[in-house]
Amino acid sequence: MTDTALHPGAETAAAREAGSNLPVLAVDLVADPSLLSRLAELGRGLEEAGVGAVTISDGGLHPIHVASFLAPLTRTLGLLPRTDAIYVEPFHLATQLMSLDHLSHGRAGWLLTAETDPAAPAAVGREVLGLEATAREAADVLEAARLVWDSWAPDAVVKDTSRGVYVDAARLQYTDVEASTFSLRGPSITPRSPQGLLPVLVADTDRPAVGERVATELADGRVLDVDVSAGAHPDQIAETLEGADARLVRLVGLDLEADPLGTVTALVAALRERELIASAADEGQSLREQLGLAIAEHAPDPERRTDRARRTDLTDQTREESA
Amino acid sequence: MTTTQSPSLATGPAEHPIHPEHTPTGQLAFGAFFQGVNSSTIWRLPESGDQVAWESFEALVRTAERGRFAAFFLGEGLRLREHREVPFELDVAGRPDAQTLLAALAGVTERIGLVATQNTTYNDPVDLARRLQTLDLLSGGRAGWNIVTTDNAWTGENFRRGGYLDHEDRYVHAEAFVEVAEQYWRGEQITHDGAHYSVRAQGDLPRSAQGRPVLFQAGASPAGQDFAARTSDVIFSPHGTLEAAVEFRRSIVERTVAAGRDAGSVKILPGAEIILAPTEAEAEEKVRWVRDLQIGPEQAIALLEQYWGRDLSAFDPDGPLPDVAPEVVESGVTRGAGFQFAKAEELTRAWREEAAEKGQSILEFARARSGARRGTFTGSYDQVAERLVEFARLGAIDGLNITPWLIPSGLDDIVDELIPRLQERGVYPTEYAGATLRENLGLPPG
Repeated sequence: MTDTALHPGAETAAAREAGSNLPVLAVDLVADPSLLSRLAELGRGLEEAGVGAVTISDGGLHPIHVASFLAPLTRTLGLLPRTDAIYVEPFHLATQLMSLDHLSHGRAGWLLTAETDPAAPAAVGREVLGLEATAREAADVLEAARLVWDSWAPDAVVKDTSRGVYVDAARLQYTDVEASTFSLRGPSITPRSPQGLLPVLVADTDRPAVGERVATELADGRVLDVDVSAGAHPDQIAETLEGADARLVRLVGLDLEADPLGTVTALVAALRERELIASAADEGQSLREQLGLAIAEHAPDPERRTDRARRTDLTDQTREESA
Repeated sequence: MTTTQSPSLATGPAEHPIHPEHTPTGQLAFGAFFQGVNSSTIWRLPESGDQVAWESFEALVRTAERGRFAAFFLGEGLRLREHREVPFELDVAGRPDAQTLLAALAGVTERIGLVATQNTTYNDPVDLARRLQTLDLLSGGRAGWNIVTTDNAWTGENFRRGGYLDHEDRYVHAEAFVEVAEQYWRGEQITHDGAHYSVRAQGDLPRSAQGRPVLFQAGASPAGQDFAARTSDVIFSPHGTLEAAVEFRRSIVERTVAAGRDAGSVKILPGAEIILAPTEAEAEEKVRWVRDLQIGPEQAIALLEQYWGRDLSAFDPDGPLPDVAPEVVESGVTRGAGFQFAKAEELTRAWREEAAEKGQSILEFARARSGARRGTFTGSYDQVAERLVEFARLGAIDGLNITPWLIPSGLDDIVDELIPRLQERGVYPTEYAGATLRENLGLPPG
């Protein structure tokens, strides 16, 4: 497995320097139960307003479920749950996110955060981690998630009626993760999703918790947070955007009770006119494409292949280590 | 057959109640169980769709809702099944995460219940309870949880705690897990100190329209039945014959009453496969055709290899069962729920004798076993309808949890042909009773 295959953000650095990509504008929805009755309307409305994506922050309702709920009700909107990497089961988290990618036809992303509220470890019976350990674990979980996402080749389901074979084990691979606080065998229970590797972004507010390695080396890009709780003024936002190296601009604190769609529609038009944000996605475009990220190629690794127990081209030692 | 009779007149009270405290409702509810991974889902036909694509699930759930199905179920697997230490290649494999998919289906459906199979051993109770309550709120009170208790170190390799739980403790653990979840749903402060971990949390979401998610359970063992009688709303172990179903109802009613609950508080929806045709002769032909497509020669050999624990590829699928002894090597068999076995020596000898007596080849034997493993309702539309009326009249079951053998069109003939006949006979609803899953299963608010 090559580094670039699992760090696709790095792969397109050159393309980005050429200035080909403008950031995508996203609105942050706080998944509060009070939002339930208007959720569908809001999702559709934001899409119509020309917003590129929504991020879904934790307000009680589970952000991944809220993103899933919005998926079939929208067509082009990127869907990025902002969800914790630490006090969860990495295997569940990875397959939940790739399932969101399936049912949204490639519009899923992950706004990675690392929980620092002591209530989170208490709920799952774990000790509170210090910042350093949190950052290390965030990196481990992100790398493990990418191995899970990459564990099925795009053509693993062969449906070969002549041999009676539905899935080809030679096109699946184990994750074989041995991190300091968890291990995984894999492969995924969910076949490869449309994007293969979901875009993983880190918001500025989450950077201290997730750590520099995740934010700058492992993630696919930065999310610039713009607090609009005091009002959304195109000129001010434009100033913040100038020269900011961000994949996504996230409007936080938007008053969704007042006239969110009118405000957003005007803002989108103003920022687009100034050529500060990317144009709206077309139907069928993946979130990776919308964000200007390269297509994630499957990275096959012979030693991880799930048919290794019956292969004769591996040494006995390799087989023993992997058993 | 008439459409003017009321349901109570059409079915009448049972002449011989199964249990003094049990009153048959004479009504059936259907669930659709998209298992995702098993040998019953045919993938070899051109009309067999993508098993993971959103479009397949959406088509199936829309058909089920058109047929007034009470619930749509998804199975769960936490590790790909393996056969001789390699992922099992011959059956449908791979599925989306159940709850993530159901949350999306909540947005495109209105009345059908959305039930996720979720494991108590490899989830954290507060995380799972919160996700289920989110699903319940997003769907307006239509969420259900099919509680499963898988425990083995092999599945545990994908989770933080590994293989931490002994098999005999799985229901003890599951019951404590469910108690934590219920505390969360009631919005309580949770202080749980168990044998394996502690939980401190606060339920922080509003109640859903149905109070809490509906609890489903499939345990057929005495321990599983007791667990269901104490904690579940619905149980769905399969029972192929009316006699077995009556016996099971009696057993559940006894255990439910012994647990201090009302006799009717646990509904029974056995898992079932339904194969229909216009006439009996056509149905018989169709059953053979379905079995041929479900179990090919490679799968027949693989089925035996699970129990023999050794390579049997040299044997002819059209010949007799292998005359060699099994090698009981645990790591050498297909792994996953439903693939644990004991007493291989005894079992394989009995199978050899059974097949020889019936004159069955390996392939014929495997196909016969495939059908026998679940409750199966086969026949003409009218035959199956009549048979189900009898089940309903006695109150042996409250409905069926149907596994379609074809995705996504496998419910079409059930909805278009069987359900109208059941409605004419007054044993199946023509409209949803309410907006929540509890209402549509005839359960009290949670």
